[in-house]
Amino acid sequence: MTDDIAKIVRTFIGEHVRDTELGDDHDIFATGSVSSLFAVQLVMWVERTFDIAVHPTDLDIENFRTVNHVVRFVESRRAATPA
Amino acid sequence: MHSYRLALDEPVSGAHLDELNRRVYYISEAITGFRLVPGDGDAVDAVEVTTGYPVDAEALGKKLRHVVDTEVRPQLPTPPKVLWRSATDRTPRAGTFDGLLADGVVHEIGPGQVALGAPALAALDALDGLLRDIIREEFEAHEYRYPTLLPITALHRSGYLSSFPQHMMFAARLDGDVDTYRAFAEEVGARDTIGDRVLHRCAPVDRCLPPTMCYHTFDQFAGSTLPDENTVVTARGGSFRHESRYHRTLERLSDFTIRETVFLGTAEFVREARDRFRRRAVELVEQLDLAGRVEVASDPFFAGAATAAQVSSQRLLELKHELHLDVGPGDSISIGSFNLHEKHFGDAFGIKGSDGATVYSACVGFGLERFTYAVLCQYGWDVADWPAPLAERCRTTPRPGKGKR
Repeated sequence: MTDDIAKIVRTFIGEHVRDTELGDDHDIFATGSVSSLFAVQLVMWVERTFDIAVHPTDLDIENFRTVNHVVRFVESRRAATPA
Repeated sequence: MHSYRLALDEPVSGAHLDELNRRVYYISEAITGFRLVPGDGDAVDAVEVTTGYPVDAEALGKKLRHVVDTEVRPQLPTPPKVLWRSATDRTPRAGTFDGLLADGVVHEIGPGQVALGAPALAALDALDGLLRDIIREEFEAHEYRYPTLLPITALHRSGYLSSFPQHMMFAARLDGDVDTYRAFAEEVGARDTIGDRVLHRCAPVDRCLPPTMCYHTFDQFAGSTLPDENTVVTARGGSFRHESRYHRTLERLSDFTIRETVFLGTAEFVREARDRFRRRAVELVEQLDLAGRVEVASDPFFAGAATAAQVSSQRLLELKHELHLDVGPGDSISIGSFNLHEKHFGDAFGIKGSDGATVYSACVGFGLERFTYAVLCQYGWDVADWPAPLAERCRTTPRPGKGKR
């Protein structure tokens, strides 16, 4: 499951990163790999793609900085939601 | 006076309420007052507006709903985030502005325009001096005094015109033609008011009043390659923003003074410099024993297609921090902002670093009238009562004409 999520996240972020090789721990916002507006796009994409409700308290950039951060966030939200 | 209840399509709540509040007067100049009408819980489901003359309420409601639906509701509901809060129990006194008026310390000139006299003027210069000390100690800044008028091309290429059209103030002149001058002179000689007879005779509108100092700095370095890896520029000057009916006391002026410092260079340098200046500003506030806080904020983007995304990304990435000082019970104003721009201005103005790459930028700006007002609210306007670092710089300032408060 984690591998599947990571693959989807890596592909999406990879399509938007410029000038760099994307590692799963690469902080895309600290290094200017993407524009700041991508942060909003990423949050909305996560909501839509994984059918997750992102609550106001989830709106912390620490949840979205790297591929691994996004994967961990998606998994934690899915674990918190009853099937 | 006429009153209208403008219903929203869906209720607005939480962090979106501030965003709604700061937009209502810009919906139409016909609006002279407004109140958010509560529905369930903290949600608002309508805005009650007052106007000085009858208006088409349906059309006004449509404008309001368009702004709410395109600019307010799509914003990510980022919760407020406080980064620092003062430990002092100092509380501002109520009625400060009225007291300043009564004692002749300030004079209202027009909407959003206030003249400062002693000792407020001395406080403003002294506070700027304390900020310049930080800038001198921490950063090897080049200091400039810019002309007031800014080429409108600078705001155009920066994106300001499409991001903040509500604040624009132009500096126009009459079209250079003897027929225009003659017709204008004849007409104004025969009229008591001239406002509506001027603009159609103006051309070209190529200068404007600067909304802040950093646009002068970016324009100064447009198209250049900076010789050093990192560059710091500081300037103080008159700044102008149309504030509609949001102007208030010395808290929100349309004609005011900013001390602004711009950082150009690597991503690491501009972020570190912004954060270092913020820490030093907090130390200054602690030294002056002022009550306040630092929080994550956003700029007043308005009427653009990307407004909601711009506000949301600023907050999510914490690109803007504001230093607030208390001016009344439960009331504070932002006296300084600490901003990261990424490569936005480097790209827009074609500014390169010594390595040939586009520079990152950041800026730190202080509203000097606001800073002064917060001090007066918390300490009064007898220099003897002021905190030592400030009082020492104001020893020779004359007392206000009508004595102590």
